[in-house]
Amino acid sequence: MDRRKLDVVLSTILIIASLIILTDDTLVEGGAESDLGSMFLPRIAAGLIIIFSATIGIQSLRRLLKRTEIDSLERIVTDGFSGIFIYIGIFIAYWLIVPHAGFLMTTPFVMFSVALLLGGRNWVPLIALSVVTPVLVFYGSSHFLRVFLPTWTLS
Amino acid sequence: MLDNILGGFASIFAVGPILGIIAGVMIGIIFGAIPGISAIMAIAIILPLTFYVDPIIGITMLLAVYKAGIYGGSISAILINTPGAAASFLTAVDGHALTKAGKAGKALDISLYSSISGEMLATLVLIFVAAPISAISLQAGPVEKVFLLLFAFTVIGSLAGESIPRGLLSCCLGMLFAMVGMSTITGASRFTFGYTELMAGFTFTPMLIGILVMPEVINTIRRRKVPHHEMAITRSPNPADNRISWKEFRSVFGTVLKSSGIGTFIGALPGLGSSTAAFIAYGEAKRTTKKPEEYGKGSVEGIAAAESANNAVCGSSLIPMLTLSIPGDDVAALLMGAFLIHGLTPGPMIFFEHPDTIYAIFAGFLITDLFLLGIAKAGFKSFVKIASLRRYYIFPCVTVFAFAGAFTAGQNMDDILVLIVFTVLGYSMRLVGLNPAVFIIGFILTPFLEQNLDQAISIVGTDYHLFFASPFSWVFIALSIFFVYSSIRMRKKAANNAADGITKNPSATTSGEAVQIPK
Repeated sequence: MDRRKLDVVLSTILIIASLIILTDDTLVEGGAESDLGSMFLPRIAAGLIIIFSATIGIQSLRRLLKRTEIDSLERIVTDGFSGIFIYIGIFIAYWLIVPHAGFLMTTPFVMFSVALLLGGRNWVPLIALSVVTPVLVFYGSSHFLRVFLPTWTLS
Repeated sequence: MLDNILGGFASIFAVGPILGIIAGVMIGIIFGAIPGISAIMAIAIILPLTFYVDPIIGITMLLAVYKAGIYGGSISAILINTPGAAASFLTAVDGHALTKAGKAGKALDISLYSSISGEMLATLVLIFVAAPISAISLQAGPVEKVFLLLFAFTVIGSLAGESIPRGLLSCCLGMLFAMVGMSTITGASRFTFGYTELMAGFTFTPMLIGILVMPEVINTIRRRKVPHHEMAITRSPNPADNRISWKEFRSVFGTVLKSSGIGTFIGALPGLGSSTAAFIAYGEAKRTTKKPEEYGKGSVEGIAAAESANNAVCGSSLIPMLTLSIPGDDVAALLMGAFLIHGLTPGPMIFFEHPDTIYAIFAGFLITDLFLLGIAKAGFKSFVKIASLRRYYIFPCVTVFAFAGAFTAGQNMDDILVLIVFTVLGYSMRLVGLNPAVFIIGFILTPFLEQNLDQAISIVGTDYHLFFASPFSWVFIALSIFFVYSSIRMRKKAANNAADGITKNPSATTSGEAVQIPK
């Protein structure tokens, strides 16, 4: 994948977002009067983002238009990206299910799924690891850290 | 100062801190030695565990993870030619050559001794230099601090990024994300879009784990089909090949001292980091040695130079953080966050407000080296075995620790959403060449900048020329320009050298035994 195309798209998005920050007064609500003002620093940052994004975007656009040869830094290797999407999907499902099914019920499945994704096929040690680790983390955090991970709430 | 140092040692010699150091050293070596997991990941994962203990135990444990993690990176570099951290790249070159020659024990020994020598020297410099510098920096008022922070942003952004615009853009994005939520100065809510959950801003720990740790997990998942390399210490029948003798260590001690000095100096400058220190020290050692032809082919002196320099950075990178509130690199930024979470604001006042705690931490930092020496030497084989575990055992555990760590911060599920969002953001940033570490530094320093800028504006009123009345202001402006200029020159020189290298040896880019650098 050609990173230069991504640079142009990203720069455009960042410039538009920065222009909104520079012009939209509804992004800040309330607050006391101060010499500096609540939006002074965000707008300075937005102005700088426009400058740096434009620099990156224009450089990449020029190289694209000149059809210069793509160098190693400008090539995004997309091999294995399917695994990334699956992993993010597993994590989002984990986040959605844990409040209802609890940490102890959900985590073994998540650990087992990630291990499978990474090519693990040693079933017995993987199942043991997937069951023992959440139990240790759950009781360790509740007893030593006083952190109470979510529990089953379906009943 | 001497009283404080002695008091620090008295505080650290207790069961809690010592157990913290031992645990930190063991975790650091194991995490550092696992390819794909770096010291910074180890610190980010361990950080939530330290919330509930005394700062002396918690911070000392994190610092032990840091030191041991940097050293641990050399184990995988030497044994399987895969540096655990980019700073161990040169160690891999010479260390793996020795491993192939059946001298892994010698390489591991010199790496350990040099690492500890470098760390000890830098820690001593930290202890004796930090307090006097902080006394000077106390003279700085809000106006000077504004210029100091702008200098830090410019230097870190321009030196640490893939290119200057990308580094500075990363920093600006970090600044913008830091301003989400309620302004600490005016009480106004910014960029919350009506969501009350955003009023407190982004929770630091899940954001940190998302930006710095999870992209490494994702990277491992992307490269899941790359074959697993088993680590093993090869033993030579000749006992002299399996260890480093006192005579051999004494012959490279001059190099160790010089490289430690280089590492200490580089580490104290913001933005350069341990890789730069290792490369400069290695280059200098090669330039001055009597046997330059051995470098790159298994030179004990080469390993000593690279390892002592990159480990010296550990101690000295804390100097700008503790004296000027400027984290010198990504690990220092993370440690700065840890200090803040523990109620200690890094900066010159820390030596006056919390002298007992800070000198106890210094004492702990120093004796960590002794524990590192003992634990690493005693458990080489065990650490190598644990670090050789297949990734499908390690990364599911990392996923769960990241989840639990993010939840620990605020004990609510919104923090997990923050973790997911910043995981995607952190990985996307890497794909487009933005620097997540610079993003974090921008995020951490922006509240300080805003606070000092507000105070400075209150002081100068409408007489804006007063901003430039102090010589400090001009010094920092000049330094910022100098660093940006030298960064441009450095990058141009590196690009020209690379182009020359390709012209002279076109096969260099396509053949040869490449060292695998973790991305």
